[in-house]
Amino acid sequence: MDSLAYKDDMSNGSQVNVQNSLQLIAFSIGEQTYGVEITTVREIRAWNGATPLPNTREYVRGVINLRGTIVPIFDLRARFGEGQTSPTKNHVVVVMSVGEKWVGILVDAVSDILTVSKDDIHAVPEGNTMDTELLNGIVTHESRMVGLIDLHAVVSGAKMDG
Amino acid sequence: MSDLDDFKATFFDECSELLGELEEQFAAIEAGDRTANRLNAVFRAVHSIKGGGGAFGFVEMVAFAHAYETLLDHVRDGRIELSDPVTVLCIRANDLLADFVKAARTGASLGPGYGADERAQFDALTRGEPIGSHGGDAGGAPMDEFDIDFVPVMVDLAPSAAAAPAPAEDSFANLPLTAERGHWEIHFAPHSELYSRANDPLLLFRELGNLGELTVTAKLGEIPPLADFEPYGIYCSWELTLVSPTATAASIAEVFEFVEGNCDLSIALLAGANNPPAEPTLDELAALVMPPVADDGPGLSFADLAETLKTEAPVRAPAAAPILLRPAEPAPMSAAEESDADRRGGEADRRTAVQSIRVDLDKVDRVVNMVGELVITQSMLTQQMDDTLRARYQELVRGLEVLAQTTRGLQDAVMAIRAQPVKSVFSRMPRLVRDLAQKTGKKIKLETIGEATEIDKTVIEQLSDPLTHMIRNSCDHGIETPEARRALGKPEIGTIRLSAEQAGGNILIAVEDDGGGINRDRVLQVARDRLVIGPDQQLTEEQIDNLIFAPGFSTATEVSDISGRGVGMDVVLSNIKKIGGSVHVRSRTGQGTRMTLRLPLTLAVLDVMLVRVGPSPYVVPLSSIVETIQCSRADFGRAPSGAKVLRVRGEYVQVVDLAERFELTGGAELANRFVVLCEAEGGTKVALVVDDIIGQQQVVIKSLEENFESIDGIAGGTILGDGNVALIVDVQGLKAQKLHKNAA
Repeated sequence: MDSLAYKDDMSNGSQVNVQNSLQLIAFSIGEQTYGVEITTVREIRAWNGATPLPNTREYVRGVINLRGTIVPIFDLRARFGEGQTSPTKNHVVVVMSVGEKWVGILVDAVSDILTVSKDDIHAVPEGNTMDTELLNGIVTHESRMVGLIDLHAVVSGAKMDG
Repeated sequence: MSDLDDFKATFFDECSELLGELEEQFAAIEAGDRTANRLNAVFRAVHSIKGGGGAFGFVEMVAFAHAYETLLDHVRDGRIELSDPVTVLCIRANDLLADFVKAARTGASLGPGYGADERAQFDALTRGEPIGSHGGDAGGAPMDEFDIDFVPVMVDLAPSAAAAPAPAEDSFANLPLTAERGHWEIHFAPHSELYSRANDPLLLFRELGNLGELTVTAKLGEIPPLADFEPYGIYCSWELTLVSPTATAASIAEVFEFVEGNCDLSIALLAGANNPPAEPTLDELAALVMPPVADDGPGLSFADLAETLKTEAPVRAPAAAPILLRPAEPAPMSAAEESDADRRGGEADRRTAVQSIRVDLDKVDRVVNMVGELVITQSMLTQQMDDTLRARYQELVRGLEVLAQTTRGLQDAVMAIRAQPVKSVFSRMPRLVRDLAQKTGKKIKLETIGEATEIDKTVIEQLSDPLTHMIRNSCDHGIETPEARRALGKPEIGTIRLSAEQAGGNILIAVEDDGGGINRDRVLQVARDRLVIGPDQQLTEEQIDNLIFAPGFSTATEVSDISGRGVGMDVVLSNIKKIGGSVHVRSRTGQGTRMTLRLPLTLAVLDVMLVRVGPSPYVVPLSSIVETIQCSRADFGRAPSGAKVLRVRGEYVQVVDLAERFELTGGAELANRFVVLCEAEGGTKVALVVDDIIGQQQVVIKSLEENFESIDGIAGGTILGDGNVALIVDVQGLKAQKLHKNAA
């Protein structure tokens, strides 16, 4: 799947300089498309429930067992303050590495693998604090706007204070 | 060449073990245990280092070790009293020896004068001068007072040879040997009449020892099993090797004059033999003769012999070597490893040498992890068996039962591999106490109890820092100055007791001092100032004591004014919590403080009770559960503050409703729920209310922090048989949280 999408992308003729390009995995939450750099993604798996963690923010969905290690799952919709996702079997968990840690992000669906040029990354417009906090930038790909997720920001501050 | 490097590496490995042993032995000696065994062990360790070092040509190390060994030898046979200054000097010598080993390992040079002061002190001592007569204190004499004069001195012991055979050791320093000397082999097998006429082989051997250098080997092969052992039976005979320039067959026979006819005696001169065995001492002989079943005696002298050969073999005629060796002994070779194992001497030691292997810890860890996973898989398989399957596949069921047993056995066996006596940590503490006592000008004695208690290696590794902090705390803040103690009518010397014991599935490690106890007013004051607690909040004494563990409550501001050293006690708490343990402190004003660490036996597998709270499974460590009660039978009440309490056997226990605490909605009727009564630190209890009790099982603890962060009230996670994650309830954490919540 990965390689297929990659080839498609190249044959489409979107001629992007390899050195200056960035490959993203794009996923959707409702109408919104977000992306993370493909090298950070470890695994994509279907939602299969998670054990809730007490005393954490609502966007921490809990923890899952990933081949013997415990990995926390973050609900990206809830993280953007749009309420908790009601996950079904069709929802997807993207497991990624953030520094030394592995985390999962619950999204509606994984859509694509995109190759974009670094030059096409724009700063996040001021205004929506949630966006500026959680996004590294915005990139346009075939007239779609893709928000680049700042993983460190997404997973921080998960613990309830007090 | 690479072979030699291998041997070197092995030698250095052994050196670190031997140096550790030295430290251990001296800790015991310092504590007052001055039995011959201790000294012998010390002697053997130094000797082994010297021997191995000699084989590899570490000249400086050997020279120092030799001087040290000479001193030890004198101490061992009582010519030098093992007074405190001598002990201190020895401990200093251990450090220096460690430096020499390190230098040899790294190839660095310590300079020619390194250790000269100490050697001068050794020499002075062995000449019979009192310690410190040359001005220096034993801890480290100033350089300028010694220097050149003393280094060569160790030679001139020789004239006193008649009084003591020990100077034979000097052969080591004066390589190569020059004198051609007579080499006699004597076989001596006493009959029972010899003993009944009140003759003592020891006296004979002493006599022989005056003729020259004597090595005694007891032949113990005839000793029967204990059941057949006759108290007056004769089971011992001896092989003696005498090296003497002057001895003749007549002079040797003369020694045995009074026992002639009461023993089998053969005396033979070995032609051409010129390598004398090294360093037999009267004490060694005594050790050989006195206990007829002693099993580490004979090897010692024999090993010495082997080692002498090994060191000298390259220099001297190699032909001499085999003559001195018993057939059973491997030929002396460069293999420090092999000869070292033998050199420690004695049948018993040789046996253990064969039976233990050195294994990379990573390999053991890999096995431990796999066994952990195996345990989970096994319990998962067992859970999958429903009644239909059970009825249909009986063979499978039987197989699973065997698997369960085997897994359990495997797990125990693997854990036993990792288990280590706490001694390895405890043995570092005497030194810490000594240093701290010196720095603070206090007099402190450290007692250790239960050093043989075994804990998982990972736990032991995590133990060193907390223990150091705790002991430091006791020295700094607990024990008073000698003057203050005198004024209080206490003995001037403060005592810190370090103990370890196993209690059920836990190991309890306690640090107890007889100092002033925690200054509660001061702690409370600081806590109020720092807003750790509210200004009007009333705390019990226990709660106040526990405040010293609160984060931000550094030692600097706590109790005493001595400050700025190290980190606070919260480090102790967090370290111990990290390994699934807990800390309890109990203090009595004016009488002392006792801090107890409660640690799990092993980190890998935990026996738990599986409970349900709301929709989620939780596990409670079985080791902390006292009992479970149905809520309908529980006697709940309200404390004056309004907090819910449970009355159990006349005791009021704090209640924590997990559903409430974890903000989960279970919807279960109170009557159908359960109380899990848990014991937190120091025997205080807390009652957890859960929705259901599912059962007991074993789980492998997984860290939440690995990919997330720690959560209050949760000690970690685990993976259940069905692959889901369950959270481990941190009983102590829940209790502590309550306190903080009230404070907020």
